[in-house]
Amino acid sequence: MSKHISSLMPAVLAKSPNMCVHIMPLIGRISLRIRQEIDKFDDALGIELPRQIGARSSKDDIEALCLGPDEWTLLMPIEKLSTVQNTLAGLYASLPHSMTEVTGREITFAIEGEQAETLLSIGCPRDIRTIKIGQARRTLFDGATVVIWCDAHNKYRMDVWNSFAPFVAQTLETGVGELAAELTQS
Amino acid sequence: MSQFRLQGRGRVDASRPVTFTFDGKSYTGQKGDTVASALLSHGVHLMGRSFKYHRPRGPMTAGSEEPNALIGTRRGPGRFEPNTRATVQEIWDGLETTSQNKYPSIKFDLGAVNDFAYMAFSAGFYYKTFMWPRSFWDKVYEPFIRAAAGLGVAPAEVDPDTYASRYLHCDLLIVGAGPAGIAAAKEAAGKGIDVVLVDENSEMGGTLLSEPQAEIDGVPAWSWLEKELAALKAAGVKLMTRTTAIGYYHENMIGMVEKLTDHLPTLPQDTPRERMWRVRSKQVILAQGALEKPLVFHGNDRPGVMLSGSAQTYLNRYGVKVGNRPAVMTSHDSAWHTAFDLVDAGAMVQAIVDTRKEVPSALIEGAKARNIPIKLNHTITATSGRLRISSIRVNPTEGDQVGSGKWIKCDALLMSGGWTPSIHLFSHTKGKLAWDDDLTTFLPDQTPENCAIAGASRGLWGVKNALDDGAKRAAEIMSQLGQTVSAGEYAAEYTVQNDRSGSGVSMKELPTDRSASRAKAFVDYQNDVTAKDLRLAVREGMRSIEHVKRYTTNGMATDQGKMSNINGLNIASDALGKRQPEVGLTTFRPPYTPTTFGAFAGYHRGDHFEITRKTQIDSWAEQNGAAFEPVGQWRRAWYFPQEGEDMHAAVKRECAATRESVGIFDASTLGKIEVVGPDAVEFMNRVYTNPWTKLGVGKCRYGLLLGDDGYIRDDGVIARIEPERFHITTTTGGAARVLNMMEDYLQTEWPELNVWLTSTTEQYSTVALNGPNAAKVLAPLVEGIELSESAFPHMSCVNVTVAGLPARLWRVSFTGEIGFEINVAAPYGRQLWERLIEAGKPYNITPYGTETMHVLRAEKGYIIVGQDTDGTVTPYDCGMGWAIGKKKPDFVGKRGLDRPDLTAANRKQLVGLLTEDKTCLEEGAQIVFDPHHPIPMKMVGHVTSSYDEGTCGQPIALALVEGGHSKVGETVYIPMPDRTIAAKITSTIFIDPENNRLKI
Repeated sequence: MSKHISSLMPAVLAKSPNMCVHIMPLIGRISLRIRQEIDKFDDALGIELPRQIGARSSKDDIEALCLGPDEWTLLMPIEKLSTVQNTLAGLYASLPHSMTEVTGREITFAIEGEQAETLLSIGCPRDIRTIKIGQARRTLFDGATVVIWCDAHNKYRMDVWNSFAPFVAQTLETGVGELAAELTQS
Repeated sequence: MSQFRLQGRGRVDASRPVTFTFDGKSYTGQKGDTVASALLSHGVHLMGRSFKYHRPRGPMTAGSEEPNALIGTRRGPGRFEPNTRATVQEIWDGLETTSQNKYPSIKFDLGAVNDFAYMAFSAGFYYKTFMWPRSFWDKVYEPFIRAAAGLGVAPAEVDPDTYASRYLHCDLLIVGAGPAGIAAAKEAAGKGIDVVLVDENSEMGGTLLSEPQAEIDGVPAWSWLEKELAALKAAGVKLMTRTTAIGYYHENMIGMVEKLTDHLPTLPQDTPRERMWRVRSKQVILAQGALEKPLVFHGNDRPGVMLSGSAQTYLNRYGVKVGNRPAVMTSHDSAWHTAFDLVDAGAMVQAIVDTRKEVPSALIEGAKARNIPIKLNHTITATSGRLRISSIRVNPTEGDQVGSGKWIKCDALLMSGGWTPSIHLFSHTKGKLAWDDDLTTFLPDQTPENCAIAGASRGLWGVKNALDDGAKRAAEIMSQLGQTVSAGEYAAEYTVQNDRSGSGVSMKELPTDRSASRAKAFVDYQNDVTAKDLRLAVREGMRSIEHVKRYTTNGMATDQGKMSNINGLNIASDALGKRQPEVGLTTFRPPYTPTTFGAFAGYHRGDHFEITRKTQIDSWAEQNGAAFEPVGQWRRAWYFPQEGEDMHAAVKRECAATRESVGIFDASTLGKIEVVGPDAVEFMNRVYTNPWTKLGVGKCRYGLLLGDDGYIRDDGVIARIEPERFHITTTTGGAARVLNMMEDYLQTEWPELNVWLTSTTEQYSTVALNGPNAAKVLAPLVEGIELSESAFPHMSCVNVTVAGLPARLWRVSFTGEIGFEINVAAPYGRQLWERLIEAGKPYNITPYGTETMHVLRAEKGYIIVGQDTDGTVTPYDCGMGWAIGKKKPDFVGKRGLDRPDLTAANRKQLVGLLTEDKTCLEEGAQIVFDPHHPIPMKMVGHVTSSYDEGTCGQPIALALVEGGHSKVGETVYIPMPDRTIAAKITSTIFIDPENNRLKI
């Protein structure tokens, strides 16, 4: 397996007449852990952090996803990272929390097209339809831990730790080919 | 036109002839035929040889339960499959099929000598025959058993096909698309729930395909079928053919295998051969129908002997008469209808022989109207014909008395011993079964799953019963799925004309006037188990059906006793004089029918066999010829061979270059955990053995992690980045385990600690530079700190810019040389690496892999957890008592370390070994103190690490030796197969014990 994936080289990974999987460019990521007084973080960050696991919110160019009872992922343009980090650092003394930058940790695949839901079903054991538009879930894809974001009908993003990306990409490529063949036969 | 094909009958397409070969001979069938139906249309019944006795066999059934007609199928190189059921395999132009278990030919087979020696192959013959003489086992018995074992030839070539898998979630899964399944789907369709209907056959309809005479609600069965299937499709029901539900697992998880290409003449591109569906369904209806039971009598396996329902299927579905002059032997009404259909199609039925004294008058009239001779209250005691049945011997019975026999000529014998509900999947649910005395069979009772069972699979015979039951079960389930209408109002009732619900009696082996001990009356056709074998097993002391099964192998073939279980049970319970439920039923296990390994493997084969994690620098290693080794899920560069180098030479060069100038190493796989929060230092104090309170910001410390038993679990260097932020490193393989252990303690033992853990393993690409010139290579690229002994001493860390990238720079060493680890955001790893390679050129910078890393650290006595420790080694055993914070009130493993066993003086302790003759020891080799000790010698330890590529001038080794720390300077011995090696115990540090080389 000589495949290598880098978010510094965004590219189309696999394409068929009605499907496209591409590697998305690098984006700023922060793992934020808070136990209490979440409202004060809302105010400081200028975005209402979603309170339900799997729920998302966005404001300006920041996206927030609630992944656990005390866990959020924040996405933002790279240029904005230091502003957000400084804001959070300013809160630390009065509102202890954990802010860890994980920009480099993940690679995101954009999975779009008529068969996107089916493509995810070749590797994800959960019912993809239960990830409603505007939500996300931490789950598995072909054995790797991933976060699947549903942005619109048949429009998904999938975050995976970068070392798993080549393996997961291979599954996605095989799947796109398989689904394209399925469509021509039916 | 083949002799036995009826024009205009059946569902095959006469306008589309299909040519295939069987044993090299070409045959023509029609589109829609199976191999079996096509061969039968040419009068070919002989399709295989049996497993043990090599008896000639033909198809017994028309479906997936077939025990006899197992063939090899081939589609060009690599695409060969043994043991394919001829009754299921659809034909296509160019299909090559072969018979099995024969030499030299299917018609004349030398192995058939076993048949004449059958007395030697009775039940349990494995256990009896091969016991003596003992010396025969290796040379005679085992090779013989191995050669005879298994049916068909295992494929020898790599399978070029691909296999797929998919998950499916639905509200209602219906298994089996016969009348019950279709009626259930019809009831549930179009009501806003997801319904999936699956069937293992190439088309849906089940028994309706074989019973075109039925009329449902005034519509002929086949028209009704067409209309209803179209309606289901239109209503959004997912219809899946050629899909077998192979297993029913916990929480309504059903495994299904869909065959996608085995029926196609040309293979479409990018299309897998099979797909494993993993289905999670809120509710399941099992409507798998029933399987017909054979009758057990002498010669009941001759080609031409077939189940009557299957003959009816061949006639009505495939338009094939299985014989021109068939005879019928039955204990059930259904076989009478087969006889009627065959006569109506032009066959001359020679006789209907029924074990019963009385049968319904309508059947008698039907037979008389067709001039079929009737023999009630009769048994069958023999058949004749070498490769095909030619006559049967029929005897009258009166109570236990069997009258004299009379031979009747025939070219086929159609038998029916009644029907057995197919409860395999229900049984997988751990569902309870209840014995039904009237039907003489087990019926489904209670199940822990959300599962209902409908139609013939719960003992309801006839089309109307199946339709009504399917609808009713679906209606009940609809209400459970939240539908408001009550079951009574919901379920449709059907009117069915020409329905054939019948009844019958269940038999043990048929009575005979001949010696039962010589009868070859088969119960399990595939494993060649006879009634006599079962009775012998009981006589020899087997009481439970589980023991009878294993002793005789009844029901243990690939068909899992689909046809033999109930007959076997009837005979065993008769022999034991107990009722069947007291003897019990063996357990059905997945898969329902034989399943390819490919279907289970799915996408996971070849280079996609399992997850392979790669660093962002892996691509450079690959392009530069690295050899790789797997470490946990990772693949890591092992060494970088140059032209003409083997591993030994490459590692030796890498080691020397690093000690002499500078080496570069990809350390990105090390686990990393960020510990943040006001209680971070308290958490660290509790988790690691070392004290952390006084570690300054910007400083690093080696940390040792124990289990609560006091044994070493993991280790790594840890940096204090901020007062309340630590950056932990773990071993590569331990990263996930360590994080889990920490989370476990945090969440269950210390919830009061205000601290969070975040995995940052993959946030960073980590490059290690080691060697006397490491600082010289790195310094020009670093902005923000001077790489001097005073400004940046050993075990420091700092946030700086390296090669223009924000970096966490550490001064640490796992080689004993001046060392740095540069952590940058993962995607920039390769960029950093290449800048360092460039900058290191004047210093002959040498990339090295994990092997060199292992050698260099061993020379300094640094342990590798999992290699020098094995889960029974304490810090003291490793000479690392210095890593324990003795003043700390507690840490994980503190109490464990106080146990007397862990403080004993003669524990195995880590030491160095230098061999006297300068040979390299084998890792894992056992150590003794006295080589003259009589065997078995007392083992006192083993070699944990051993290398001869290093820079010490001789091979070195680390070993765990009993009381080793007090034996430095003494000699121990390592017995090997060819000689005994003497080695001297030394310190674990072979190079630079004063750590002078660490200084810039």
